[in-house]
Amino acid sequence: MNKNKYLLLGSSLGVLALLIVAAAQEGFREWRVIQRATQSDEGPLGVRLRQVVSPGLGTSDRCVSCHVGMDPNEQGVRGGRLMIQHADVVHDTSEFGCTICHSGQGLATEKLDAHGEVRFWPEPMIPLQFSQAGCGTCHASLGMPGLEAFRQARGAFERLDCLACHRVDGRGGTMRPDGFGMEGPDLSRAALSGYDPDWYSKHLLEWEKAESGSWKAAFAPIGEQDLRLISTYLSTRIGAAKLAEAKVHFLSNGCLGCHRVSGFGGDEGPDLTRAGEKDPGQVSFAQVQGKHTLANWFSEHFRSPASLVADSLMPAVDVSDEEIELLTMYTLSLRRRELPGTYVSKERMRVEKLEEREFASDGQTVFSAVCAGCHGKKGEGKQAPGRQVFPAIANPDFLALASDEFILETITQGRPGRKMPSWGTKEAGLKKYEISRAAEYLRKMGGVEFRTDPKTRRWLSGNSAEGKRLFASACSTCHGAEGEGKEGPALNNKALLAIATDTYLVETISGGRRRTLMEGFLTPSMARPTLSPAEIEDVVAYIRSWEGVEK
Amino acid sequence: MSGKISSQTGLLEMWDNLRAVPRRIVDSAFRSGKPNTDRTRSTFIFGNLFLHLHSVRVHRWSLRWTTTFGLGIVCGAAFLITLVTGILLMFYYKPYPDVAYESIKDIHFIVPTGRFIRNIHRWAANIMVVAVILHMARTFYTAAYRKPREFNWLIGMGLLVITLALSFTGYLLPWDQLAYWAITIGANIAQSPREVTDALGITERFDPGEWMRLMLLGSDVVGPVALIRFYLMHVMILPLALTALMGVHFWRIRKDGGLTRPVNADQKLSPPGGDTYPVFSEAPARTYQIAAIVKGRTSQVGNGPENTVPSMPHLFYAELGLLMLTAFLCLAFSVVWDAPLKEIANPAVPENPAKAPWYYLGLQEMVSFSAFMGGFGIPAIVLIGLGLIPFVEREESGTGEWFGGPGGWPLARNSALFGLSAAIVVEAVAIRFGWIREWFPDAPQLLITFVNPGTVLTLVYASYSVWLIRRFQSTRAGAVGLFTCFLCGFVVLTIIGAYFRGPNWVFYWSPAEWPGH
Repeated sequence: MNKNKYLLLGSSLGVLALLIVAAAQEGFREWRVIQRATQSDEGPLGVRLRQVVSPGLGTSDRCVSCHVGMDPNEQGVRGGRLMIQHADVVHDTSEFGCTICHSGQGLATEKLDAHGEVRFWPEPMIPLQFSQAGCGTCHASLGMPGLEAFRQARGAFERLDCLACHRVDGRGGTMRPDGFGMEGPDLSRAALSGYDPDWYSKHLLEWEKAESGSWKAAFAPIGEQDLRLISTYLSTRIGAAKLAEAKVHFLSNGCLGCHRVSGFGGDEGPDLTRAGEKDPGQVSFAQVQGKHTLANWFSEHFRSPASLVADSLMPAVDVSDEEIELLTMYTLSLRRRELPGTYVSKERMRVEKLEEREFASDGQTVFSAVCAGCHGKKGEGKQAPGRQVFPAIANPDFLALASDEFILETITQGRPGRKMPSWGTKEAGLKKYEISRAAEYLRKMGGVEFRTDPKTRRWLSGNSAEGKRLFASACSTCHGAEGEGKEGPALNNKALLAIATDTYLVETISGGRRRTLMEGFLTPSMARPTLSPAEIEDVVAYIRSWEGVEK
Repeated sequence: MSGKISSQTGLLEMWDNLRAVPRRIVDSAFRSGKPNTDRTRSTFIFGNLFLHLHSVRVHRWSLRWTTTFGLGIVCGAAFLITLVTGILLMFYYKPYPDVAYESIKDIHFIVPTGRFIRNIHRWAANIMVVAVILHMARTFYTAAYRKPREFNWLIGMGLLVITLALSFTGYLLPWDQLAYWAITIGANIAQSPREVTDALGITERFDPGEWMRLMLLGSDVVGPVALIRFYLMHVMILPLALTALMGVHFWRIRKDGGLTRPVNADQKLSPPGGDTYPVFSEAPARTYQIAAIVKGRTSQVGNGPENTVPSMPHLFYAELGLLMLTAFLCLAFSVVWDAPLKEIANPAVPENPAKAPWYYLGLQEMVSFSAFMGGFGIPAIVLIGLGLIPFVEREESGTGEWFGGPGGWPLARNSALFGLSAAIVVEAVAIRFGWIREWFPDAPQLLITFVNPGTVLTLVYASYSVWLIRRFQSTRAGAVGLFTCFLCGFVVLTIIGAYFRGPNWVFYWSPAEWPGH
């Protein structure tokens, strides 16, 4: 019977011991230890739970329980790295809290949990080097240029020495001689806060009035071209220089050709509007080196999409490590969370409600943001092994034969059945002027004018049966037995045949296309049969026979 | 003069009384004095509201650890622990979607010892479910359900059901993904009669499945109404029902003659040790007139309660010891493992796989074959079967002995082997080769409802049991076979559901093989 007595004694002592352990642990919670060791100007800090509550955003951020220096109610907290104060930012931290920008788990009070690097927390902190990606939670930015346009714009801004008076992203600007502020306003946030559209005429007026001083010395009339470049540059000043650069790179790799962001874009790949909010717990890190962060997953994904996502059709993004980092940053910034109305920024409202563009509408930007992904940044075309070919549209032989109407129509109608969407007619596609500017840019890039064709669209009268035989021997190796396309583009596409004139087809076969696999069939060659002009017309007649066939 | 003296005596008396207050409070609370004689030990028990559920003396057989392994007390202890910790959690918990999740986060991160208390609550609840199942198995294998304890077996089944319901309702309260989708699964199981009404084409007129789902959730979706419903059930209705039934359960133990013991228990026990208090250390003060109204085949007069010891303190050491042991286990688990808390519930992002609480995974595994049979038919068959056991099996041999009755331990062992292999074989066939739907895509739904791995397994077990009854000429043998088989089937299905089912309820050898992304 004593057994039970010992059972009672033993288990009671065990319970007592565990209770003491639990109570002791409570007194040594991380944040308590930190606060106990912290001093402020007014002596030791009171140890208490600190948090920034934002009823509007529905957040309670307890980050300041450890990062006491960032507590809006504390001044002069001294200590190590953990105690530094928040950098001076536009937003009032006591209103916005922490997680709305930095993400992480605001309710948590232990480092790993709070930073969100734990299972079951879908929104871990944005790594510090990408912290500007947090702006994307509420903000979009309008009319951003592609890389080429951005470089020109930045060049103009520096060349014209606007930095003599204006401060931008911590550079430039001079103090007034009287010591009251800067000569010119800080332009780091010009794109968000807006600026006087009449600024140039007002500058000019001041310059004309001035006898001497900074107006006379630092300003001079500017050409129209440069004015455009300056306004482009100002549209990129969103108070987050690195994020702006990241977006410029995103707009230079043709990502929007396949992905939508805020409504606009292609539909081949997933919608990226909220890609930065992807739950790292839902992706596989089997092929990712380094820490299991979303940022690492994205950068690895850019290098080799198919090894991370089975069946991914996305080609590897072949750019430098620095550019990969920028693309990663921009993708992380795509976190357009649903927000209470008052918190939605006006530029995001304009994107979402008024369908304004996040990219500039000049031809160069449209081409690099939308077309470059498949057709190459220089329009050189692309082909991944085993995939369909993306035509080299800046090819001079093509541009010489393709009329402006051909190009506009192709962009507008697309190629049904192929990857090329109908940009002009699809839902939320490109606007008419965007298409024509992109086409204009394409022609400018190729540097070749359309060779005017005196013939009618359809002048040809070849022998289709004969053409069929010739096609099988000469063309089907690359274009497929039924013209369905292999290494060469599909020819049985009705949209193509509707747009292409007879001259276009005959001349393409006769002359070929430089720097592609397609060589002119009039030229004698050892590798393949040569065709006479009559035979070429027969082949075209045969190709024309697909026009009526449902494919 | 005399007045002065008497006033002094009055003061002295008051002073003496004042000094005696603590002692007198104790004396008036425990009126019979220190429990150090047979009589005072008895009155200590029946003079106390809470203790008098116990009999005054307890047989030494009942106190052997191997008699019950204390499982019933562990159930009660675990309930007590969940009750205390649950009340503490109620101080901070807010039963409204999203706010609920935040309040759990508060409990986890902010409330002093909140995480610890929530962990204890969770572990005690799990220990309770395990202990209740084991307690039922113990009762079954010692044939303790037999006359006169049949009704207490039924009450025990009620307690089992309420325990599972308590656990299930508590599962939703954190309002995280785990909770949300487990309850969604649970609610869909409640809707399972639809499978039959759909197949019969009468759902539009008669839809008991939807009715049950509506009763459970109070709306079409798992939302605020469902949360309040689950909360009220969890903190009020079910605990009250459980407490009431527990009271009856304990009281019946005493009224049914204490714990079951074999007829030859006295011979089996070694002589009482020196620490055992003697029986009837005092001459009885009353005559046994009460014998006239006591039921029984022989008069108990003159037959002292031999081989019994006073419950105070022997039984109480055991009970308190088990309570503290249970508490120790809960605390120890709580120090090491935190109760899970996933992302906030998100109706737009289904968990895949969404799994029910572990004790329902066996059901969910069967539901994956047929919602109606797995969620409704087979559980009903099992519950009815369990309830019938004490009324159909009326034998007497082996009562109170582990694996008593014809066949003994070898029968239980062989039944376990049979039950395990049958379950594994049926599952293996279904996993490897698929089932009727994969072979004949046009098979009618009713066929699959009535012929699926769950029903096949039930049928195999039932046939095995019938064969045992014929072979041993004993219902008890059949019952042992059937009970063991179902226990094994429960274990196999639960393990498969818990460890080997991945996204879309596809079989995987380990979660490492689950498709990513």
